[in-house]
Amino acid sequence: MEYGLKPLGREKFWFWVMLIPTLIGLTFGALGSILATLGLSLTNWDLLTPPTWAGLSNYFALFNNPAYLKALTNTFKFSAMYVPGVVIISLFVAVLMNRKIRGVSIFRTIYFLPAVTSAVATALVWNMIYGRDTGILNFILNLLGQPSICWLCTKNALMSVVVVNIWGAIGEGMIIFLAGLTAIPREYYEASTIDGAGVFDQFFSITLPLVTPSIFFQTLISTINAFQAYDYIYMMTRQGQGDSSVPVVVFSIYRNAWNFFRYGGASAQAIELAVLVILLMAFYFWLERRYVVYE
Amino acid sequence: MKKILFSLAMVAVLLLSACGGKTVGGNATSASPVQITYMEWGDPAELDVWKAIVSDFEAANPNIQVNVDVSDWDSYWTKLKTLLAANTPPDVFAMDAPLYLDYQSRGVLLNIQPYIDNNPGMLDGLFPNTLTAYQTPDGYFGLPRDFQTIVVFYNKDMFDTAGVPYPQSNWTYDDLRATAKALTKDTNGDGKIDQFGYVIDPWDFEPGMSEVIWANGGDLINADHTQTLIGEPNARTAFQFLHDMMFVDHSIPDPNTSSQYGGDLFLSGNAAMIAMGHWAVPSYSEAGFKWDVVEMPSGPAGQATSVNSAGFVVAKDSKNPDAAFAFIKFVLSTAGQTRLAEMGFACPVLESVAKSDAFLKQSTPIDHQIFIDSLAFAHMKPVFKGYDEWSSAIGDGLTPMWNGEAELNPTLDQIVAQADAVLATNK
Repeated sequence: MEYGLKPLGREKFWFWVMLIPTLIGLTFGALGSILATLGLSLTNWDLLTPPTWAGLSNYFALFNNPAYLKALTNTFKFSAMYVPGVVIISLFVAVLMNRKIRGVSIFRTIYFLPAVTSAVATALVWNMIYGRDTGILNFILNLLGQPSICWLCTKNALMSVVVVNIWGAIGEGMIIFLAGLTAIPREYYEASTIDGAGVFDQFFSITLPLVTPSIFFQTLISTINAFQAYDYIYMMTRQGQGDSSVPVVVFSIYRNAWNFFRYGGASAQAIELAVLVILLMAFYFWLERRYVVYE
Repeated sequence: MKKILFSLAMVAVLLLSACGGKTVGGNATSASPVQITYMEWGDPAELDVWKAIVSDFEAANPNIQVNVDVSDWDSYWTKLKTLLAANTPPDVFAMDAPLYLDYQSRGVLLNIQPYIDNNPGMLDGLFPNTLTAYQTPDGYFGLPRDFQTIVVFYNKDMFDTAGVPYPQSNWTYDDLRATAKALTKDTNGDGKIDQFGYVIDPWDFEPGMSEVIWANGGDLINADHTQTLIGEPNARTAFQFLHDMMFVDHSIPDPNTSSQYGGDLFLSGNAAMIAMGHWAVPSYSEAGFKWDVVEMPSGPAGQATSVNSAGFVVAKDSKNPDAAFAFIKFVLSTAGQTRLAEMGFACPVLESVAKSDAFLKQSTPIDHQIFIDSLAFAHMKPVFKGYDEWSSAIGDGLTPMWNGEAELNPTLDQIVAQADAVLATNK
């Protein structure tokens, strides 16, 4: 499959001229830091004295590091709830927003608002919602005669932050799915209506298969976001000295590097996280070949 | 008017120093001034005070210019480490005493002992127990700039309303517990406590935890920093005491409760007492209630508090170590310390200034003498390589217990093992 036009002659020159700034940024910024991280992960480095060779010891040490293993478990639990949550809910919202109803752009804007609002500010608002004695959520529960729940205590904190992260990601997911939905030809729906298909038949037999490319893309993006999630979690669950009641791997990487002078160990954690994401991506691409429908 | 007077004074100082220069023989007036950078963490408000200190300093040393760089606590350390790694460190930078050896042991600090030796008597007026933290077998690699003792701040209005007498200097932990209990209340009658008797920092030893341990005859860590002692019987009793205030009396809020009040319950008017250092005075001075301070109570092993200092150090790679040291020397002089004292964030390390009106009669009308008197029974906040990682292991370990999800004794057993493991890897 080939898309778009191929640059010809002089265009080729300008093609590269235009690309060079981005390429330089990618090479020295992204690729350079990835390689540097890889190199550092094989050393013991405290940033201030010259690094010493450590071989793979930083990687082996990860398996005996209870704080890291706890963080890794939290990251996986978080992703397992977050990714399906974002994909399903934003698809649902997109289907709702993909109709000609009065004021649909206002609704779309409302759903998109969290994506353009500072995570720090919204997390503060969520803290007010979740507050155990002073929160709005428990106030409503009490009105309904239910006992208060400590939403941000260790037991419930993971679930509570997943909810907020999903809430913050619906807007962007909705945009992706709206783009996918509008690309589905109307005729399919008209033809199926004539054949007597109901709304649910249409959704599962037409919409869902044809929107699989968007689902694939959104799952990919959400997984990457899930592994990098930090801001809401930090704002809502932080404890003393950079800890959290649900520390995820990003917490562990940051603290090991910047608080504990362990840049080698932190780099090993970052590389391991990247490898896990890459493995997941490989699995997704395998699924893509089997299930994703391209028109 | 103030500005004009200040400018006039500056002009006068410049003229005088110019004359001075001539008599010595016109030294270095033609050369362009030496530039040094001083970096520290702090409030934006502190920048103004430092600018005042710097202009005093520059007036006295016309061939040195100081650039002041103030960041918030978290950014400060990230920025500092990056600058050190890039070999472009600030010439002089602030140091939290517990973290001093993390830097000193890695060879990025200049040994300033030769400079001190060239200035005999310059350490004479400084409080000896603020100097201890910076002594190494090779001499001083830094000096204290100001210090903090922990005292109890109390909300007078809350005591008056409850008809409870103010705490006195000779009080005990039993008094503290009873007072805190009497001041813990549900003021709006919704069945939930919204006024707490006492607040401590549940993660950092300094404000509230280490004091009880010491007053009980316990300690945090052994002398050569190889063993964590918070699981020893006397320390355990201290933790049990705080635990009971939190979970039996409910007079200390647990972290889940305090997080609902934006962090500082004393400032928000939801707590009657808090263990705190002088750094809180400027922000508390804007609180809408009357308050004062009293010494930490005494326990079975007597009275105890924590002393910690902010110091300053010179980067080993500084291009102008002479100018850098001259700046340190100036900040430790009567003029520099007086300015710092007026700033109100900390206690001056120069004894004569700490006992002068500049410190004792600052704009916030509380008994500042208490902070100085507390030095008499103060223990030093531990200083050793790996402090941050060690205290984080303890802070993280305590979290489930303070959140009411784990029992005290198994928690302490587990923490001691983890903290000792950290000590072993930081040798």
